[in-house]
Amino acid sequence: MSRTHDHAPIQESEEISEFEVLETAIRELSISHGLFSAEDHRRFTEWAESIGPAGGSRLVAKAWVDPEFKERLLADGTEACKEVGIDWNNPTGEGTPSDYTFFYVLENTPKVHNVIVCTLCSCYPRPVLGHSPAWYRTPNYRRRMVRRPREVLAEFGLYLPPDVEVRVHDSNQKSRFMVMPMRPEGTEGWSEEQLAAIVTRDTMIGVAVPKVDWTASSAPSEALSSPSRGH
Amino acid sequence: MSKYQVGDRVTVRDAPTMFHTRTQAFTRGRTGVVVEHRPEWVIPEDEAWGRDNGRTERFYVVRFNQRDLWADYTGSDSDTLESEFSERWLMPAKEETK
Amino acid sequence: MSSHTNFDVLQKRVRALAPEEHTVLDSPPTISNDFFDALRHVVHDVGGQPDGPMAYKEKEEEDWEARTYVTCECLAWRGVWSAEERRRAENDLGETLYFGLPYYARWIMVAAKTLINKGIITPDELSAKLEEVRQRLEVKS
Repeated sequence: MSRTHDHAPIQESEEISEFEVLETAIRELSISHGLFSAEDHRRFTEWAESIGPAGGSRLVAKAWVDPEFKERLLADGTEACKEVGIDWNNPTGEGTPSDYTFFYVLENTPKVHNVIVCTLCSCYPRPVLGHSPAWYRTPNYRRRMVRRPREVLAEFGLYLPPDVEVRVHDSNQKSRFMVMPMRPEGTEGWSEEQLAAIVTRDTMIGVAVPKVDWTASSAPSEALSSPSRGH
Repeated sequence: MSKYQVGDRVTVRDAPTMFHTRTQAFTRGRTGVVVEHRPEWVIPEDEAWGRDNGRTERFYVVRFNQRDLWADYTGSDSDTLESEFSERWLMPAKEETK
Repeated sequence: MSSHTNFDVLQKRVRALAPEEHTVLDSPPTISNDFFDALRHVVHDVGGQPDGPMAYKEKEEEDWEARTYVTCECLAWRGVWSAEERRRAENDLGETLYFGLPYYARWIMVAAKTLINKGIITPDELSAKLEEVRQRLEVKS
C-alpha cells in the first residue's frame, strides 16, 4: 500500500445537516408536483444500491479466461456486459442520465497502461464499478492526473517503466471507460471467481495493478474486492 | 459523413468560451491524432441549456502526446492522453505555436 | 515521524506565516482583459491547473448523499433536466460555491435552483418546505 495515502475514512457528521433538509425538501416537492414518483425513487435507489466493482471484476476475469469473450468485450463493451448480467439500460430502460450507454473497455498491455479521469466533473462507469471513490471526484485528482499521471500513480504505489506508455483517458463526453488490467503471473489454472477476487476497483480505474499474494500456498477463495474493504 | 478519418491529425479549435464547455482549456490549440469514431451525440452546447433534442454531431477520440500538451511534462516521451471532441471543435492540423 | 516529514511539516507552517496581501474584490470600477479572462474561465475545467499531492481518502456515502444522487437522477429520468444541465448549473454557481461545497451538496443546490429557475416551484414554496422539514427532522432527533 502507498506510504503517502492515509486511507482512513473521513469522519461523518453526527448532526442533521442542512443538506439533508434540502434534499428531503426537493424530493418531497418533486413528488408532490408529479415530477417523479416515490416508486421511481425506490426503483432507482434499488439499482444504485445494487451496483459495485464486482461487476467489472467479473468482466475482466471472464476476459482473462475466454479470449473470444475478450474480443467481444473490446469490440462492444455495452453489449458484452449483458453476458455477465449487467444491462447498461437499467434502471430506466434507456440507461442512467449520468452514465449513458456507451461503454468502452481499455486493455492494458505490456506496452500501454491505461488510467481514467474526468477533469470536468467525475464521469465514471457506475453500472460496472459502482459509485466513484471520493478521491476520484476531487478537483485535485482531476487537476493532476492529466498533467502528472506518473506522480499521481506513484502516490498510489504504482510505478511504471518509462518505455510503458501511460495513456490517460479524460472522459469528457458520453463514453464511459473501465481498464482491463493485465493478468498477473502466478494465476495459471485459477477459476474465474478466484481471478475476479484480485481485480479490485482501483485496478479498473488504472491506479493499481492486480496483486498475487506470493506467500499464499493456494489461490484465494474469498473475494477481496468487497465494498467494506474499500479500494 | 465523418469529416475526419482515423489517422487524421487534427488541432483543437480555441473558440471563445463562456459559461460552460466540455472542450478542455488544456487541449485548445493542441494537435493530436484521431484514433476512433464515436457515435453522433447531441452536443453539450445544446444539452447543457435544455435543448435535449438539439444538434447532433460526430464525435472523435483524439490522442495527444503528453509532451505536446504540457511544456513541463515530467513523464515519459511515449505517454499520451485521449479525449473526445465533437466535429465543430476540430480542424485539420496546423503547425503548433507553443 | 521521519526527519523528512518533520521538515515538511515545519516548512509548511513557516511558509504559512509569510504575509499575504489579497486584493479585495468588491465590484471594481474596471478590470483588465486578462483578469476578465480569468474570471470567465469555465469553473469545472480544472485539468492541468497547479496543485500538489493530497492524501486521497475513502469516504462512506452519507444517507442524504445517496438520496441526492437518486433524486437528481430521477429528475433527469423524468425529463425535468439532463445530467449536462446539472453540470452546467454547477458551473453557474461560480467558484466560491463550486469549490466551497462538497460534491453532492453542489448537486442538491442546483437541483433546488433549477426547479425554481424553470418555474416549477416558487421560492416561497421552497422556503416553507425547508422550514417544515427542519422542524420535522429536529423533532425526530
